[in-house]
Amino acid sequence: MTSRLSSMPAWARWMIYAASGVLLLTIVQSISDTDRLTQISTSREMLRWAVPIFLAGLGGLFSERAGVVNIGLEGMLILGMWFGAWGSIEYGAWWGLLIGIVGGMIGGLLHAVATVTFQVDHIISGVAINILAPAITRYLSEEVWDSPTTSPQTAEVGTWDVPFLAGGTIFGWESPDWLLTASKWEIWYLSDVAQLSRGLLRSTSWVSIIALLLVPFTVWLVWRTRFGLRLRICGEKPAAGEAQGINIIRYKYIAVIISGGLAGLGGAFISTELSGLFQGGNSAGRGFIGLAALIFGNWRPGGVLLGALLFGYVFGLDLKDLDGTASHAMLLVNAIALAGVAAWAFSRRRVADTVLASALGVGALCWWLVADTVPSWWSNTLPYVIVLLVLVFFSQRLRMPAANGQPYRKGG
Amino acid sequence: MSAAIELTGITKRFPGVVANDDVNLTVEQGEIHAICGENGAGKSTLMKILYGMQGADEGTMKINGEVVDFTSPTDAIDCGIGMVHQHFMLADQLTVLENVILGAEPTLTGGRLDFKKAETHLREVADEYGLTVDVHQMIETLEVGERQRVEIIKVLYRGAEILILDEPTAVLVPQEVEALFENMRELKASGTTILFIDHKLDEVLKISDSITVLRHGKTVASLKNEGVTAHELAELMVGSELPTPATTSSTVTDEVALRLSGVTVLNEANRPVASNINLAIRKGEIVGIAGVEGNGQGDLVDAIIGTTQISSGTIELLGNDITYESVRKRREAGVAYVPEDRQHEGLLLSSPLWENAALGHQTQAPFGSNWWLNRDGARRQTEAIRQQFDVRTPNIDVAAHALSGGNQQKLIIGRELTSNPDVLIAAHPTRGIDVGAQAAVWDDIRAARRNGLATLLISADLDELIGLSDTIVVILRGEFVATLSPDEVTPRDLGAYMTGAALQNGGVA
Ligand SMILES: Nc1ncnc2c1ncn2[C@@H]1O[C@H](COP(=O)(O)OP(=O)(O)OP(=O)(O)O)[C@@H](O)[C@H]1O
Ligand SMILES: [Mg+2]
Repeated sequence: MTSRLSSMPAWARWMIYAASGVLLLTIVQSISDTDRLTQISTSREMLRWAVPIFLAGLGGLFSERAGVVNIGLEGMLILGMWFGAWGSIEYGAWWGLLIGIVGGMIGGLLHAVATVTFQVDHIISGVAINILAPAITRYLSEEVWDSPTTSPQTAEVGTWDVPFLAGGTIFGWESPDWLLTASKWEIWYLSDVAQLSRGLLRSTSWVSIIALLLVPFTVWLVWRTRFGLRLRICGEKPAAGEAQGINIIRYKYIAVIISGGLAGLGGAFISTELSGLFQGGNSAGRGFIGLAALIFGNWRPGGVLLGALLFGYVFGLDLKDLDGTASHAMLLVNAIALAGVAAWAFSRRRVADTVLASALGVGALCWWLVADTVPSWWSNTLPYVIVLLVLVFFSQRLRMPAANGQPYRKGG
Repeated sequence: MSAAIELTGITKRFPGVVANDDVNLTVEQGEIHAICGENGAGKSTLMKILYGMQGADEGTMKINGEVVDFTSPTDAIDCGIGMVHQHFMLADQLTVLENVILGAEPTLTGGRLDFKKAETHLREVADEYGLTVDVHQMIETLEVGERQRVEIIKVLYRGAEILILDEPTAVLVPQEVEALFENMRELKASGTTILFIDHKLDEVLKISDSITVLRHGKTVASLKNEGVTAHELAELMVGSELPTPATTSSTVTDEVALRLSGVTVLNEANRPVASNINLAIRKGEIVGIAGVEGNGQGDLVDAIIGTTQISSGTIELLGNDITYESVRKRREAGVAYVPEDRQHEGLLLSSPLWENAALGHQTQAPFGSNWWLNRDGARRQTEAIRQQFDVRTPNIDVAAHALSGGNQQKLIIGRELTSNPDVLIAAHPTRGIDVGAQAAVWDDIRAARRNGLATLLISADLDELIGLSDTIVVILRGEFVATLSPDEVTPRDLGAYMTGAALQNGGVA
């Protein structure tokens, strides 16, 4: 089964994942008292949350593939938020994004100097950046906008409606909106698919589109090019690269700076496309969650995207879920997923894992049965719980770059 | 024609040691030049200097008659030098192809890797020298012998004219050594100059044209390989006689220390890599396992240590069933372990020696208790190991990576033997250890055996296997196919059993 899946082309595999994910949601929705699991706004919110998480996670991928743990992503994201807003206000929307990237890159450079040149512990340096970034942006806001926490309105790069599927215009002609039509048919599953798809394809930010295109681009860059091979050797066995005449330090620097730039783009997206202004605290820990997505995604671009979408879904659902019924229904989704894990562990004859997954699954099921709503802290915690569970059950399948986090000295 | 390599007055100091002290070395064009010397004599350091990985403090280097000053391996590579390191320089998670092309990648426009061209070139090189590898395998799935081949292909791929091989034969079984020597002769015929390091003197005498001996960082002799004997060479290296690993009288008792009954180990694809293994090692007995690398001996060791779950069968230690015990429980119950790859499984390379000496015994006196480490006790014990096993190091606070390969190995042996184990699982215990220290390790194992130690010995060195073992079992494709008495078997016969040739011919005459 798994082998047949992995021999498929990537897009086909993704279609299957998506289709079965929506099927699960549809089934759960039909036996619970919410209709939010598959609404248009749910998937729109999912994407809006997922994009910065994904960009931060992808930043983490570049850095950790080169052997530098980057817990400073949150700080770099915050720098991106500020510089993105500032650039956008001063020079316009696209410049804002670019300047946001540069802001994140400065954070990355700082991390590279500390960890690569001065061999500071990666975690310590990252934490320092996370503490520094909010302080610096606060100071800068005070200086530039006379307000420590908020900026004026920013410009935004705008959105795109996909023609035919989501009613976009082609040369001024308004194309039909097929997905909207389909979602009104109210056919079980089919309309749910249509709704969720339309949320993704209607008024989609250009940044989101760029972010999605970064998945194949990263695969190409890191796994198909000379640059990528050399970058990966830094994270796998730098001494081997050095022995082959590769300047490890240079590649580590480049990787960590790229990492900061991607987190910076994520930050700029938050202020210019999501909030429309810089506001301290708006990062909402998305840099950290990006790191969680990186682990969830097994240090691969597609996996990081999947993690970001999953976490984005949980957060996005919670946002519009004032009465807590949708999050309540998510408990049932959790229970089913855990049952799947238990079955998988059982087929591998892993007794302890089977028992644990079943127990947790039954726990989630009981909670779903006895309660009508769940508190909102639960949705905020869920991404971390998911990552913990992934680590518990799948740690043997996770492949962190072998030399990730290790100090590197020339001439070993 | 000028010499291929001419080093004069090379000196290299590390904190507390002078690794190279005014070393001179001349290697002629197109010769095979061996470098010998005890552990820590400075052989690897000298080679790393020649390869630009470390800078010399003093001295000059000439390559093909021209003075050079290397600041990184790139410079050396540009001069046509290639090096195979003592410890593999391969990334486990990358494919053979990726590892080989690294640093000399053929590219298309836009920096895209030209895998097709790379593969073609790799195959050309591999075919030319008869080196077979599966280019798309991940390194982690390869056996050590295959990894060695990848390392050599890596160097040849770049068309190196001067080849440095640091202890290439340490990890190879005799047949593979033969194949390697054949490759080396071919390379020499095509004009390549080869510098290689080896502790096995018979191999040195067999293949080399000239020999340089180092001792305590100094050149003590440089001679042509004409009429030199192994004894003279050993004399030059360590100032003592060549030891032989002959066992003294049998000390085997009746009491079984380790018993494996019907043990089967499956790999990830659910295929048996060790099937229905029955084995009993009694106190005072050494059982040797002979087999070509990758026939299941590694999986068997993992199963005994507890790093692999067995799918059926039982493992008993001193009559107690330990099949489902954790690695730590097994170790605490008296299982000592010398892993086959010291840097992968044996040491924390960036931790100090005293922490490394506690590794695996951290919960037991004198290193600590269940919760706490006992620094003083650990340090005292480490000092004891250092003296008893002659671990050459300035002090016990240096990181393990600063030790020479052989001294790292001695530290591991010392750690395991001083823990007073009941059972010793030793995979290639004297790999990389010089002839003098090898004799000492053999003596230590024999002494422990007299005191009732049960040992499972795996070794690619067939003389060692025959000399130390009380019984030899041959493993082939995960099964024990023969049980032999070391008194009656020669390395040649053993080689035939290991490849299965003897079994097809109905036994060795
Ligand atoms: N990076 C380092 N830092 C400190 N000391 C080092 C370092 N590398 C080597 N040494 C020391 O230099 C000396 C020579 O080491 P080297 O590795 O050259 O020995 P060797 O002749 O290759 O021995 P072996 O046969 O055991 O491999 C040793 O005493 C070792 O401890
Ligand atoms: Mg050495």
